[in-house]
Amino acid sequence: MYTIVHAIVGYFFLLLTVRVLSRRPGAQLTPFEFVIVFLIGGVIILATVGDDKSVTNCVCAILAVVLMHQFVSWLRTRYGWLQNVIDGAPVVLLAHGEWQLEGMNSTRVEDDDVMAAARTKGVMNLSGIKYAILERNGAISIIKANQKAD
Amino acid sequence: MAATQTAPVEDSIAKIGNEVAVGEDMQFQRRWWRFEKAVWVVFLLIVLLDLAGAFGRGPLAKAHANTRGGTMVVDYERIERFSTPSILTIHFGPSAVVDGRIQLWVSDSVVKELGNQRVIPEPVSSVIGNGGILYTFAATSLPDSVEFALQPSHPGIAHFELRVPGATLDAPLRDEFEAKVVVMP
Repeated sequence: MYTIVHAIVGYFFLLLTVRVLSRRPGAQLTPFEFVIVFLIGGVIILATVGDDKSVTNCVCAILAVVLMHQFVSWLRTRYGWLQNVIDGAPVVLLAHGEWQLEGMNSTRVEDDDVMAAARTKGVMNLSGIKYAILERNGAISIIKANQKAD
Repeated sequence: MAATQTAPVEDSIAKIGNEVAVGEDMQFQRRWWRFEKAVWVVFLLIVLLDLAGAFGRGPLAKAHANTRGGTMVVDYERIERFSTPSILTIHFGPSAVVDGRIQLWVSDSVVKELGNQRVIPEPVSSVIGNGGILYTFAATSLPDSVEFALQPSHPGIAHFELRVPGATLDAPLRDEFEAKVVVMP
């Protein structure tokens, strides 16, 4: 019984922790962020499984986590506002040649993060960006300055 | 054959600059960022409280108590953690020794709730009765102490009692100690 309870508590605690940590771990995983992901995962599993290393316990823990994931996915689809809470909402970082400082500071994204995303789109400097948007999954979308809306 | 369900595409995603559908919601974001700051304060408080031992295994969790008759000095953890080992130590005073032996009665919550794993040193005898266990230890010299290796089996509040029934006291006739222990999940 404790395994199931620990798995459920662990799932929600991890969801909250990763959600408030910042959005970067979702997409741009640097070695600095690898440390956090592995450490948190390792610590949570200790409390979830405990001393009981039986297959039964591991299966129950995995099933509890998978069911919680399905439940939260269903909630997210059922109640639209929960999608913003769980996944976050897109944040505009740069628009028409101006940094959106509130979004930049609050999401802890630097200009070189935006430039890194821009380079992957073949944009050679910041002035070539019309919009930079931090997506729900942590990726930065770039819309080039010469790109026209339909 | 059932028809495939379809729905018309609506331009429902909020746009920026009236051209790019982003779905940005700054009102929600500002509320979320305030919430994030509050969560970080709570996380910091939890870590500080844990360092102080408010959740067990720290200075605030350790307790040291003397019984009124001076028969026992008890060192224990007032905040335990579920399934985590700890030691309950009882130091005996001279009045606890009668005919070269010490008798100690412990309530059965020490075994059931606090999960006593073993008693050090091993008692000469142990008798079950009166809602607890009466241990008898051989005592040749003082100070003598007995340790209980605990490993709580349930989270919650556990209440335990200790008595030295054979203590040579005028009043009270037997020396008692009782305490509550919070077992963290």
